[in-house]
Amino acid sequence: MCGAILLTPTSAAGQPRTAGADARSPRNANYSIDVRLDPDARILTGRAVLTWRNIAAVSSPDLRFHLYYNAWRNSRSTWMRERELGRGPGLTSRPETDWGWIDVTAVRLLGAGDAPPLDLTDRVRFVSPDDGNPDDRTVLAVPMPAPVAPGETVNVELEWISRVPRTFARTGAIGNFFFIAQWFPKIGVLEDDGWNCHQFHAGTEFFSDYGVYDVRISVPTGWIVGSTGAGGQLRNNADGTTTHRYVQEDVHDFAWTTSPDFLDLTERFEVAGLPAVQMRLLLQPEHSGQAGRHFTATAATLQAYGQWFGSYPYAQITIVDPAWQSGAGGMEYPTLFTTGTRWLAPPEVPQPEGVTIHEAGHQFWYGVVGNNEFEHAWLDEGLNTFATARVLEAEFTPNRIAQRYFGGFVPFVFRDMVWSRATDGNRLAGYRNAARADVQQTPTFRYWPGTAGAITYNKTALWLHTLERHLGWEPVREILSVFYRRWQFRHPKPEDFFAIANEVSGQDLSWYFDQVHGGTQIFDYAVQQVTTRPLRDRGFVDGDRRPVFRDPIDDRGLTRTTVTIRRQGDGIFPVEVLVVFDDGETVREQWDGREPWQLFTYERTAGAVRVEVDPDRVLLLDLDYANNSWTAAPRAGPAATKWMLRWMIWLQDLLLTYAFLV
Amino acid sequence: MPIVISLVDGLRRVIRAPVILVGAATLTLLLVVPLGLLLRGELQTALGDSVVADGMADGVVWDWWQQFSRQGTGLDRSLTPSVIGFAAVLANVSALLDGNGQEPVIVAVLLSYLLVWAFFSGGVLDRYARNRPTRSAGFFSACGLHGSRLLRLAIVAGLAYGFLFGVVHGWLFDDLYEAITRNLTVEREAFAVRVALYVVFGLVLIAVGLVFDYARVRAVVEDRRSMLGALLAGWRFVRRRPGVCAGLYLANGLVLLAVMAVYGLLAPDAGTTGLSMWLTFLTGQAYVVARLTAKLLFYAAEVAYFQSQLAHAGYVAAPAPVWPESPAAEALGRLG
Repeated sequence: MCGAILLTPTSAAGQPRTAGADARSPRNANYSIDVRLDPDARILTGRAVLTWRNIAAVSSPDLRFHLYYNAWRNSRSTWMRERELGRGPGLTSRPETDWGWIDVTAVRLLGAGDAPPLDLTDRVRFVSPDDGNPDDRTVLAVPMPAPVAPGETVNVELEWISRVPRTFARTGAIGNFFFIAQWFPKIGVLEDDGWNCHQFHAGTEFFSDYGVYDVRISVPTGWIVGSTGAGGQLRNNADGTTTHRYVQEDVHDFAWTTSPDFLDLTERFEVAGLPAVQMRLLLQPEHSGQAGRHFTATAATLQAYGQWFGSYPYAQITIVDPAWQSGAGGMEYPTLFTTGTRWLAPPEVPQPEGVTIHEAGHQFWYGVVGNNEFEHAWLDEGLNTFATARVLEAEFTPNRIAQRYFGGFVPFVFRDMVWSRATDGNRLAGYRNAARADVQQTPTFRYWPGTAGAITYNKTALWLHTLERHLGWEPVREILSVFYRRWQFRHPKPEDFFAIANEVSGQDLSWYFDQVHGGTQIFDYAVQQVTTRPLRDRGFVDGDRRPVFRDPIDDRGLTRTTVTIRRQGDGIFPVEVLVVFDDGETVREQWDGREPWQLFTYERTAGAVRVEVDPDRVLLLDLDYANNSWTAAPRAGPAATKWMLRWMIWLQDLLLTYAFLV
Repeated sequence: MPIVISLVDGLRRVIRAPVILVGAATLTLLLVVPLGLLLRGELQTALGDSVVADGMADGVVWDWWQQFSRQGTGLDRSLTPSVIGFAAVLANVSALLDGNGQEPVIVAVLLSYLLVWAFFSGGVLDRYARNRPTRSAGFFSACGLHGSRLLRLAIVAGLAYGFLFGVVHGWLFDDLYEAITRNLTVEREAFAVRVALYVVFGLVLIAVGLVFDYARVRAVVEDRRSMLGALLAGWRFVRRRPGVCAGLYLANGLVLLAVMAVYGLLAPDAGTTGLSMWLTFLTGQAYVVARLTAKLLFYAAEVAYFQSQLAHAGYVAAPAPVWPESPAAEALGRLG
């Protein structure tokens, strides 16, 4: 009821508008929610009015809602089964207090005017469109008394109660830190071919329509609340709670957090040519010395992404530093994200910067461009991983690799191990081990759970960076910028991205996308053989009247160098071949990379001393770059000796450490 | 004062027997050389004629390194960044305290090393107890005489440490640590808990180590045949002098920590090939020698302390001087 009042388009001043000329999105899924948290019992009690408009071309006989918390109702859910498949049964042994659930206690269709609500509670049923799992309760179908026609709007009131779990999938609670995401019955996306409302899967995230959220959150008085949207309105209640109201237009999700322990800090992002953004940081007290790092990384992201792709459209952004062991770190929600850091976080190592940039970047890829993360997660995760690495390289280098010891608490920074955007930022090592795991165009929720990340994040970042090196940064930036502008507040699909890439680059890049997105081809070009021998051709050559025998045929003292380049993978990519001769001259050859091998022959006075295929490392998807080069003066021996000596000292120290016992 | 006296006395005994230190260092080096050469061969083969070798020679090519480690055998997988500089020390202490596993090939070398130490420790303790040159024949005779006994004792020690690392460690760091920290939301508090558990586990290790140390000392100094008897004697000795025994152990431990700290200041980064590579190796060997000195100091100081307490004329009657004489008998002989 209250939602119907609050969310009418002509509502009073100060109330959000669900439609109008200023709407940036279709605003067809609008929520007015009242929710109360009982932190001791970890119970959420909620009531929402959903105002939903059918923007598809088909009528719908029912409404479908995600009930994500039911993924952790028991170990029979699809999420838990997939999680066990990918990472083992660790989570299933959790104690009773760790599990969570959500029960919808009432569903009513609100009538127009004074018409009484129609109770639909008894009609609801659970459906499992993805795997038919009868025990999965993460999708609720609500049959309607009459199909909802295209363009029609319905108001539905929902009441629910849920238990907040000990964090699974980055939502939940530990101690007095609550991170509440995917917490309310959220309507799926109706498309022209029906509902796109997947069950919750262990390897994928979310998909929903844009709308206006007006949420009133009641928590114990004194607790700090951070949330999607802009807040500020507080009301103290007689029962010792305070209600915080947050409102945000043109977003497709709503998350919030509360804890009495946060340090609540703000800074303002102001860069010429970009809209100002109020940055709010909710920081754990033990990380008080790292506030500047979070703000700097967020500002760097807003600036870089804003200048590269398009500006951040909201007035505020909230950075949440989650409590240790909360499991809530590194996750994005509209206008709010969780970062992740450690108590001991050396400044030379890009943590928390890496995760902060990545999650802030999701405001653009995921938040503004709202692709379907169930089916095409690479469209936001991959693009964002690529861009994250680019910002890190531009703003935070040099930085170093570190390893952690003593239970993971104590970091040690390797001063001469420098982080590289191309390989570390794009996570080549992870992709190398999973290169053939899945075809990227397979719906993401059907990826093998254990390697889904490598195909979603790593492979996309690598093929985008390869494209950047192949086409140049400006064309790729323009592709992403056009994609951002054209698809903001909408739901793009892969073909939309590829169409823009072809359009902006002025090239048909399908040969490339068919391999990296449509196949599992692996790329591996190698220098197979290099020979340099004196030219000793002998035999008959044309004479004045008849062939004459010459030995040698050519006595200019030339050598013949043959270079054989081999394509060892089934992926095809044009590559350059660099040949360096011992007189200092260099030759660069172009090869389309199609045939299994390619021979280059040179007859010169100088022989080859170095050969490199793809010397500029354009093809970052090349799984084995070590075989891309050959040198006449290899230093494998000295290098091997150096590392052998290092290793021996380590092993001697290991022996002495354990010899402490005898 | 007994702590300082024993420590200084022990240091003198170590210094006066440089061949033992040289021998131990040589043994520690020789044991790792064959595996090092194997690893070198694998590295050289993997790098081949590639230009990537330049990067690995001049610094670190982390991407190639990850590729090499993940495709390789156990030996290759043990080549991690933790071999660089002081990380080696941190990684190994961390592995010991955290109960981390090692590659099977490394475990095999480790067990061999411990067995060799167990065997030679008879000769080492004998030499320090006599506190005079015993020559090679005397040293190896003592090794032979005490070797099988100390190996028996090592088996008992192995069972004890197996229990500590297999059961107690799991109880402390898997069960208790998990139970204490499961609902903690402040990392530094969890770290404090972990440090406290390290201290507890370390104290247990030290307590057990003390008993076995003095069991070894008594087995050698008193020429004991029964290792069970030696173990009980070691236990009695520690139980009656817990303060000095622990204090001496702590003093030795501080020496060891000082050695590590100095190496922490000097340990070079990955570096390059050529002269710097060898200087790095020599620095590492100097550190190994210093650590061995610290380890031998444990032996020598404990022997010195034990002899100052029990193995003197007023405590034991002179045994029949049958060669090889026990250090205790020899000491009495000198008095007579």
